[in-house]
Amino acid sequence: MRDFFSSPTAVVGTTLLVIVLTAALFGPWIAPYDPQAFHPIARLQGPSAAHWLGTDQFGRDLLSRILHGAPATVAFGVFATALGVGVGSVIGVIAGVSGGWVDSTIMRILDGLLAVPDLLFTLLIVTMLGGGMEHALLAVAVAFTPGMARIARSAVLSVRTRDYVRAAIARGESGFYIVSCEVLPNALSPIVVEATIRVSFAIMIGATLGFLGLGAQPPSTEWGLMVAEARQFMFRNPWCVAIPGLSIAMAALGFNLFGDALRDALDPRRSH
Amino acid sequence: MTRGYLIRRLLAIFLVLAIVTFAVFAITTVLPGNAAIMILGEYATPDAVAALERQLNLDQPWYMQYFNWVAGILRGDLGMSLRLSLPVSQVVGEAFLNSALLGATALVAVTVIAIPLGALAALKRGTAVDLAIGLFSYLGTALPEFVTATLLLVFLAAPNSGIFPAGGFVAPWGNIGGFAYHVALPAFTLGLILLAHISRQVRSEMAEVLSSDYIRAARLKGLTERRVIRRHALPNSLAPAVAVISLDIGYLLGGIIVVEEIFAWPGLGRLLMYALENRDLPVIQAVTLLLAGVYALSNLISDIVIAMLDPRVRYA
Amino acid sequence: MTTFMISRRTVVMGMAATAMLPGISLAQSATPKPGGILKISHSTRIATLNVLNCSGPAEYPVVDMIYSGLTRMGPDNKPMADLAERWEASADAKTFTYFLRKGITFHDGSPCTADDIVATFQAILNPDVPAAARAVLNMIDTIEAVDATTVRFNLKTPFADLPISTAHANARILSKAALSGPREKLDTTANGTGPFKLETYDSARMVRLVKNENYYIKGKPYLDGVEMHLFPDLAAESANFLNGAMDVMLTVQQADFERITAANGITAKRIPSGRFVNVTMRQDQKPFDDVRVRKALAMSVDRGLLVDIVLEGLGRPAYDNLVSPEFQYAIEAPEIAYDPEGAKKLLAEAGYPDGIKVTLVASNRPAIRAQVAVALKEMAKPAGFDIEVETMSHDTYLANVWMKGNFYMGYWGMQATEDATFKLLLTSDASYEDTAWKNAEFDKLIADARSTTDSEKRRELYAKAQELQLKDTPYIVPIFEDILTASGKGAEDWTIAPLSRYYYVENVWLNKA
Repeated sequence: MRDFFSSPTAVVGTTLLVIVLTAALFGPWIAPYDPQAFHPIARLQGPSAAHWLGTDQFGRDLLSRILHGAPATVAFGVFATALGVGVGSVIGVIAGVSGGWVDSTIMRILDGLLAVPDLLFTLLIVTMLGGGMEHALLAVAVAFTPGMARIARSAVLSVRTRDYVRAAIARGESGFYIVSCEVLPNALSPIVVEATIRVSFAIMIGATLGFLGLGAQPPSTEWGLMVAEARQFMFRNPWCVAIPGLSIAMAALGFNLFGDALRDALDPRRSH
Repeated sequence: MTRGYLIRRLLAIFLVLAIVTFAVFAITTVLPGNAAIMILGEYATPDAVAALERQLNLDQPWYMQYFNWVAGILRGDLGMSLRLSLPVSQVVGEAFLNSALLGATALVAVTVIAIPLGALAALKRGTAVDLAIGLFSYLGTALPEFVTATLLLVFLAAPNSGIFPAGGFVAPWGNIGGFAYHVALPAFTLGLILLAHISRQVRSEMAEVLSSDYIRAARLKGLTERRVIRRHALPNSLAPAVAVISLDIGYLLGGIIVVEEIFAWPGLGRLLMYALENRDLPVIQAVTLLLAGVYALSNLISDIVIAMLDPRVRYA
Repeated sequence: MTTFMISRRTVVMGMAATAMLPGISLAQSATPKPGGILKISHSTRIATLNVLNCSGPAEYPVVDMIYSGLTRMGPDNKPMADLAERWEASADAKTFTYFLRKGITFHDGSPCTADDIVATFQAILNPDVPAAARAVLNMIDTIEAVDATTVRFNLKTPFADLPISTAHANARILSKAALSGPREKLDTTANGTGPFKLETYDSARMVRLVKNENYYIKGKPYLDGVEMHLFPDLAAESANFLNGAMDVMLTVQQADFERITAANGITAKRIPSGRFVNVTMRQDQKPFDDVRVRKALAMSVDRGLLVDIVLEGLGRPAYDNLVSPEFQYAIEAPEIAYDPEGAKKLLAEAGYPDGIKVTLVASNRPAIRAQVAVALKEMAKPAGFDIEVETMSHDTYLANVWMKGNFYMGYWGMQATEDATFKLLLTSDASYEDTAWKNAEFDKLIADARSTTDSEKRRELYAKAQELQLKDTPYIVPIFEDILTASGKGAEDWTIAPLSRYYYVENVWLNKA
């Protein structure tokens, strides 16, 4: 871990992540304007001294909207992933630890769910729940669960036969102790790596749902929705499409690079 | 790879499809609203809605609707689209063909470009070439399809200066040029994410293979570098690439939803969006069934291909 | 809130628009050339060809080309002859006789006679048939074929506007044979008497129509055919129109209008229309049961600014009258100034000194609903209205909110008459009465105007009804939206009626060398 920052991937990833997380945590306080306030005389303008990133079709300040949208967009990715990872890991650990028919039953069901492509799965769930940000979050979490469960299970399986687990079993430790103190900590790193990378997918899926009109709804400042609303005006002011679009790319890229760097650092075999 | 294994896998696929369709059906019928309300929209009057519900058999309980639907499937009849009043098999069949054309174009183009790109990056590891390829592929993974597509529309299909048409579909039969012209932007949008995935995968596998003992042994034997790469390194890096491609078919199936919507491509993705918006249950069912089926089959095929490429893998 | 004080710009833009209109008549002076295929782009699917219950914006032009009605609404908003060359009403407005043109045939060659007319209207009145025109024709008692070319309507109650009702876009004439066959066939096949015949129907991509050589007007249509091309993405649609791949863009978005107008060789048109956005406030519950609250909200809307930023100046401010100036008996509604201070006082008077917190629901389709809602939220803030905008998908809105909610955004196309407008939304028995306003005096005025044939008397009755409406503010109607369409180089005489469901494509011709 010590030479984590020696790889350019890690440096770039961490830098992007710091920018994005700062915006997500403090954005609403550092925003120069009310993100919903209209400035009718300054509609669809490019960057200027008054509006650093320009304005949208209602003359709303784009920088303020991006900063206010950061928590919605990033938190969406983080929470959806956390929920999916949490539930998925529990299922995976149960399967991996139990073995036998419990394991094979769970795995058959997971294989079933994995047969539906991610975005399609999310789309079906979110339409059925009726759209909106909370439902989109739930849908992404549900869609992530089977994949995460699989990864958690294989992590547990690879740990289960290690000597320290065998030793704990020989010592006569309780099942709960073995799982929580010996298996989990050692199975954690692949789960964390996968989760970090998945946040970037979650952000992209969330934005895509916003774009399709099934995620965040006006007047939300979620970035995908901002692109969708501004597309009509893209020939008049390309900034109002490009800025939220690139913000999404920046957030996704940050999590992606950081996750990759983390994997390389934690798993030397795969570093290259 | 035994016959028993194949049969078990195929049975599992059928089971999965059955579960998926039942889930879709059950949840959709619990929801407020139905196709009749959506068809008549805001000019609906209660008696018109009631009349249309009778006509579409929506006044039956949901389990009867499901039973009728399953009975139809077993007879090979997918039913009628509620919104489009056409046989589902016809609507979905045409859309599937169009989507397959787009998906196949994207996949073939990506495979042809991504594998050499990944191999090149692995061979030139640490150089500017590697960095450029890496940067490009990272950017590719971080841009959602709707952003890529929108930017392409602004820059490559703008009126007056546009190089490509801004969407639309031309069938390839008899007009392959027109098809290529129209398929370029949507296929590029779809392909960008896959390109990134596959080239990165090939790069990392190839890098691993290149530093492995048997390549070193091959070099020691005095084989030319060309031969080492063509006969040993590349084939051994391909199995994981195939695995990634089959996983990426999942992305592709999701990606067509957005891409077809933006580029007016009359395929399954757009049909699904339309059916979802209009609560056209028979069409939703058929499209989901088809997409899940294609995905499951592509996974199966990729497992078989991997087993053939990599003798170490055995399935029982 | 000085930011909202720029309404003057609207006036300037409005004047620019009127100056533009004469440009249309120039094209009409040339002699039409026959031939050519007209390509029309549209962004919503043509999901059905069933003229009885179609409602899609791109379905109306298709059925307008394929079918004819007994009567048809003209660009001047008055009924004109279609299959019926003339009609007569009895003095009590209870019996109407229509005289058909002679020798009309359906596209399959079979003759179109009084029997087909009777069968069509009987189908519309049949409760087992989903038919959108039933609401404006439900005063019909019996229909009889007097002879092969004469049809008589006997009404239950007097109704002076019947020739307008028979021109309803969903009341076009079908053949008796088609009506007695399986009804699903009407969705995908069409046998009409209109200027064009159906050739290909592919709802995912293109609908192709070809010239009807036996159209009842000799020499028309000029075009050999029409293709309707679907582009679900608006950016893709406008790009294809601008690069000349399409001749006509059925609907132009406000955001694109200026750009499209500026393009070389393109004739963009704004057609003033009575299409409006309205705010539904349920009046059988708090807080909108109090007229002062409704008035306060009305004063918190900067209508000029809405026209500027939501419609890009391509519309007119409305002052809560459902009836736009295009209507025969419209009165001029007094301007309601943007006055958040006054609104605040009025709210305090009504017992809300600390303002009102309320959730405004808007469907996400079309986008204008959410845009107006979001703007309203900002405008009404200084008056003490704390509005939370909840945007939702259209299907959820239709199922859960529409006709049920207490505060939401409506969006309606222009109706053919005052009667149709008020019977749609405001009378106690209106089809979509969603405010619970229910005013007996208003109901009586509308009923009286229905049975009166004297024009001056009707003017008086409708004026009283509108004043009653303005006094009580059952709805906030902030803007009237213009219809925007455009035709490219060489496509001449393309237009849309203010009612937006009539297109007169038989007059369109291609001026290409």
